[in-house]
Amino acid sequence: MTKIKRLSEVKEGKYKVIDILKPGKLKKLSNIGILIGDIIEVIKSGPGPVIIKNKNTTIGIGYGIAMDIIVEKME
Amino acid sequence: MEEKIVAIVGNPNTGKTTIFNALTGSRQKIGNWPGVTVEKKEGYYIYKNIKFNVIDLPGTYTLTGESEDQKIAIDFLIQNKSDILIVVANGLNLERSLYFLILLRELHKNIIVDLNMVDLAEKEGINYDLLHLEKLLKVKFVKTVGNKNIGIENLKEEIYKRCKEPTSEFFIFNYGEEIEKSISEIIDIIKEFNLSYPKRFLALKILEKDEYFINLINFENYKKINDLIVKLEKFFNKPIERVLIEKRYGIIHGIVKETLIGRKKELKIEITEKVDKILTNNFSGPLIFFLIMFLIFDLIFVFGGPLENFLELILEKLKNFFVKSDLSVWIISLINDGIISGVGSVILFLPKIFLFFFLFSILEDTGYIARAAIVADRLMHKIGLHGKSAIPSILGFGCNVPAIMGTRILEGKKDKILTSISIPFMSCSARLPVYLLFTSIFFKENQGIIIFSLYLFGIIVGILSIKIFGSVFLKEESLPLIIELPPFRIPYWKNILIETWTRTKYFLKKAGTIIFVGALVLWLLSYFPDPNNYGGESNFIGRLGSFISPIFKFSGFGFWQAGVALIFGIYAKELVVGTFGTLFGFENLSNTLSIYFSPISAYAFMIMSLLYMPCLATFLVLKREIGIKWTLISLFWSLFIGWLFSVIFYQTFTFLTGG
Ligand SMILES: Nc1nc2c(ncn2[C@@H]2O[C@H](COP(=O)(O)OP(=O)(O)O)[C@@H](O)[C@H]2O)c(=O)[nH]1
Ligand SMILES: [Mg+2]
Repeated sequence: MTKIKRLSEVKEGKYKVIDILKPGKLKKLSNIGILIGDIIEVIKSGPGPVIIKNKNTTIGIGYGIAMDIIVEKME
Repeated sequence: MEEKIVAIVGNPNTGKTTIFNALTGSRQKIGNWPGVTVEKKEGYYIYKNIKFNVIDLPGTYTLTGESEDQKIAIDFLIQNKSDILIVVANGLNLERSLYFLILLRELHKNIIVDLNMVDLAEKEGINYDLLHLEKLLKVKFVKTVGNKNIGIENLKEEIYKRCKEPTSEFFIFNYGEEIEKSISEIIDIIKEFNLSYPKRFLALKILEKDEYFINLINFENYKKINDLIVKLEKFFNKPIERVLIEKRYGIIHGIVKETLIGRKKELKIEITEKVDKILTNNFSGPLIFFLIMFLIFDLIFVFGGPLENFLELILEKLKNFFVKSDLSVWIISLINDGIISGVGSVILFLPKIFLFFFLFSILEDTGYIARAAIVADRLMHKIGLHGKSAIPSILGFGCNVPAIMGTRILEGKKDKILTSISIPFMSCSARLPVYLLFTSIFFKENQGIIIFSLYLFGIIVGILSIKIFGSVFLKEESLPLIIELPPFRIPYWKNILIETWTRTKYFLKKAGTIIFVGALVLWLLSYFPDPNNYGGESNFIGRLGSFISPIFKFSGFGFWQAGVALIFGIYAKELVVGTFGTLFGFENLSNTLSIYFSPISAYAFMIMSLLYMPCLATFLVLKREIGIKWTLISLFWSLFIGWLFSVIFYQTFTFLTGG
């Protein structure tokens, strides 16, 4: 079973961001402080907006954007 | 007196407005940015004989704007309209604030960084070596605690100093050999363009593929630059935007590490996290959301109602005073029926508007609004709107006026226009008297269900309007949601009071002047040419009523009194009831109405009262918020759809009941 999934599909837990698919979204997310390589914690999973915690900030991400964030489950 | 312009910028939730309030106190006003509907907040203070005009810019994370309010902030920053910039940084999350600062430093020279929320940071064991930070970033840092007024005097002094002796040095951030080489080459290519931006800033923006800036140079040049970009991306094996972002964050991490004093603990926000889970959960989230909305709704009425009655009493006393005075009859009528009734109808909104802004500011300051947006996002997305749209919409059931003003919290233009257009279809409290009157006469057995059906009907028409206008006229996409959830905070009373007061004042000023004219016109129509028969058939308004009444023949109420009642309903919808009272006499109102109306035409009339044109006050705020064009569209749309549905209803049910 693969551990790599879209952020929109995962359950609560710790994940590492391994890719952000669209350049526009990459820019947008990096502006708010989410970078490739970051370890994030999913507080609320989809469907609907996903809420993550990243470097002491909590951020709500709409489902459409969460679909383009690729994450890997951390042990 | 010498004047200077100070602009406050920074990420959302860093405390910009708090600092703005601390600097200016209540010497502030709100207005709109020219041509758009985003709120503009300005104020001033005087320090050492200089008047500092302060502008509170909308929060932004970057210099590439997506939402309307961010574009404003960015335009302002790019065009460099201020003498000095205060960048408010969050002491708890310096990295991201520094990212924004670095972007800005390529554009602006005269900057002070206000490191805010140092109280929270210190509590978490986070402290920074300011002198070292200043040396590394070549910019002045000032520590503040905005909501405790700590550091504000110092900030004023530094602003003063910086205005007296502005720095002339740009901060050059080094992106490494490869990129620096390309930057120089791009600068070479764009040299010939006489644009007002610093060349290096422009080169970087073009390198980042920022469309706004690419459009400023011609295509030939861009082709040359694009070759450069392709080469760079090959070298790094990544999109160039990503390289730039990583370089910036790389340096920032270095700077933060180097200047951090004390151990940084893993923040303990577990409680916040647990609360967040409950507040945003797919089941409990909506429940709590509706509970809170209901509570606001309820509080507005519990406290607003008596205040409104009190104001009504004062207006009544005032009218009495004039009746007893020995002014001539027409002047008394002008004052009482025209001015006091007209202007009064707006003043009566005041308690509810004040309460709404008050309660809303509290919710905003505690941080709940961001959670509410998350909860509503799923539902609203299905309709085609942003999650935040749900908040003003629901408040529309209380009163449309503050609800439409509440669309200011929305960022996208599309969301704002569509939400504003749908709000007038939410049955506000002023429609209730109309429903109550008619249902008590015609639907005694199931009054509750009938009234509920009207509320529901309004919602359906609202959604229908959003769908139609959304797909036909506003094709642009709704903005995707990315929203920071600030930690929960105890609301800061000063922010709340200032916010509430400035907004209420704004409403009063705008509404007060225009309604005065409207009231005058309506009075003239009702009083002439037969002064003894105020509002009667022999006067212009009655003739107008007779004139429009044939249109309503198909809806079952084609008599002039209904026309006049609907015209007066433009003031405020509850006046529909009052007008029938005046025209038919209050004593026999139910009997007379049951002669004129049947249950079917009564329901059709209620549909019309619900849907047709927003009241005058709503009209005024609509115009302020979405501009005259959309207001007129909304107006004619509501007249049309009100008429259409009342006809459809009347005809269908008359047919079904064989009538
Ligand atoms: N503890 C603390 N709270 C602050 C400070 N400055 C602002 N706040 C609070 O932070 C919240 C957001 O502030 P606001 O000025 O609305 O942020 P803006 O979005 O940048 O305008 C409010 O609840 C303020 O009361 C500070 O220095 N310390
Ligand atoms: Mg603010």
